[in-house]
Amino acid sequence: MEYVLSQLINGICQGMIYALMAIGYSVIAGVTGMVSFCYGDLMTMGAFAAFYMFEFAGSNIVLGVISSFIACWLLGIIIYKLCYEKFLNAPRHITMICTFAFGIGMRNLAQILFGEARKPVLNVVGNRAIILGKSIRITMLQITIIVTVIILAILLSWFLNKTKWGLSLRAISQDKTASYVVGINAKRYSLIGSCLGSSLGGVAGLLLAVYYQTVYVTMGNALSMKSFSATVLGGLTDVPLSALGGLCIGVIENLGITLTDSSFRDLFTFSFLMLILLIRPQGFASKKGARP
Amino acid sequence: MLLSIRDLSVNYGRISALRGVNIDINKGEIVTIIGSNGAGKSTTLMSVSGLVQKADGIVTFKEKDITNMPADKIAKLGIAHVPEGRRVFPSFTVYENLLAGARGNPSLKKTDIDRLIEEQFVLFPRLKERIKQAAGSLSGGEQQMLAIARGLMMDPELIMLDEPSLGLAPIIIEEIFKLILRIKEQGKTVLLIEQNASLALSIADRGYVLEVGEVTLTGTGKELLGNEDVKKAYLGA
Repeated sequence: MEYVLSQLINGICQGMIYALMAIGYSVIAGVTGMVSFCYGDLMTMGAFAAFYMFEFAGSNIVLGVISSFIACWLLGIIIYKLCYEKFLNAPRHITMICTFAFGIGMRNLAQILFGEARKPVLNVVGNRAIILGKSIRITMLQITIIVTVIILAILLSWFLNKTKWGLSLRAISQDKTASYVVGINAKRYSLIGSCLGSSLGGVAGLLLAVYYQTVYVTMGNALSMKSFSATVLGGLTDVPLSALGGLCIGVIENLGITLTDSSFRDLFTFSFLMLILLIRPQGFASKKGARP
Repeated sequence: MLLSIRDLSVNYGRISALRGVNIDINKGEIVTIIGSNGAGKSTTLMSVSGLVQKADGIVTFKEKDITNMPADKIAKLGIAHVPEGRRVFPSFTVYENLLAGARGNPSLKKTDIDRLIEEQFVLFPRLKERIKQAAGSLSGGEQQMLAIARGLMMDPELIMLDEPSLGLAPIIIEEIFKLILRIKEQGKTVLLIEQNASLALSIADRGYVLEVGEVTLTGTGKELLGNEDVKKAYLGA
């Protein structure tokens, strides 16, 4: 029982990281109206940005978050300019293929620049543990991760719901033509939105690297599909529900491997996705604003 | 002259949608453009608000050339376009839709926005009852009212309405046309596009008849109502 409980804590912690990935992904999918398949590699880049920051400036989680946020914001600009801007009115698969290609390119470039060996990310946060009960423990690292994600989620939700820029972002995700006629520059806000989503993905990549204490070039491969799954669970463009999707995947993965073996991790994620989509094809979302 | 359209031509691929259209609008008028499906009415509006590429011609607003200006900048000059099919933001609440409308006028302060929202609720009391409801769940008539209110939120000088009667019950259409007259009384200029020609001409100061991309007839609302050709083609007489 206690073993299951501590695995639940691990699951929540991992789920929080997946939630952050999904939040970023749903912001990108929402404002551009198109899916992205270079998101996993973007997260890898975020992790590397933080890794080099730790190398040069010492292990400081705040500096790490800032550096991966900025690095992925810049990458987000490049991705938007190359893969989205020219193809806003083109068939959707063009953007999809572009992001695929960009992801592969980015991964291989990273392999040349950073090398393919796994690099350790150690002692960013002290590994002290707080013991709850007999054998349930929660580490400082886990608390840091959970707190970071919650802070970012609150900031994002404030930004989207309380500021006029957030209002514009939510407007263009619903109707770009209508946004233009009320004076919103839809192109500029698509750029801002896709950068913002990329940055959040980058921070998620950093948190994963810190959590697993390692960073390597191909870490994004499985993450791309996982963040996509989590977002699909939330209905692709709904930010809070995507976060819930991510959290669910994290918890189910960890409970699943508690009962079986850790090599079955991805099996649980994708079986869960398929199961939910069979029962509710629209994901967790109930369509707000639809006439019954 | 508030808005002037000179020799405007628009092509969709190889199809020409507008050929040399000239339209002038003075301040404080209601001007209507009538015509059948595919005559180019909506295209005219969309080219004024910058949503379609123009092949030829010049559009000026308050003596300023807006021919090749991006759509969001045109809106910020004070032209509100209420697009065909309402196009409200479906998952925004009524209140958020109105707030989004105010994005079109950067000079508005918080107090101005609150005042404008109150003004809309005086014009459209039904929207006030539904202030927290998602716009997509409103009825067609209410969505049309919201779309007009959203356009008025930027406190525009010119408001362009694209078929506000589309798909609505006669009683609601009447209500909306009364509202258009009240908008005019507030000192705004209205450019109205309608298929319901008799209703549109009865409230309009001037009208233009558009046929397959060309203006074929123009005159005051009364003149056009009495014109034999217009009667035959659009009024079913």
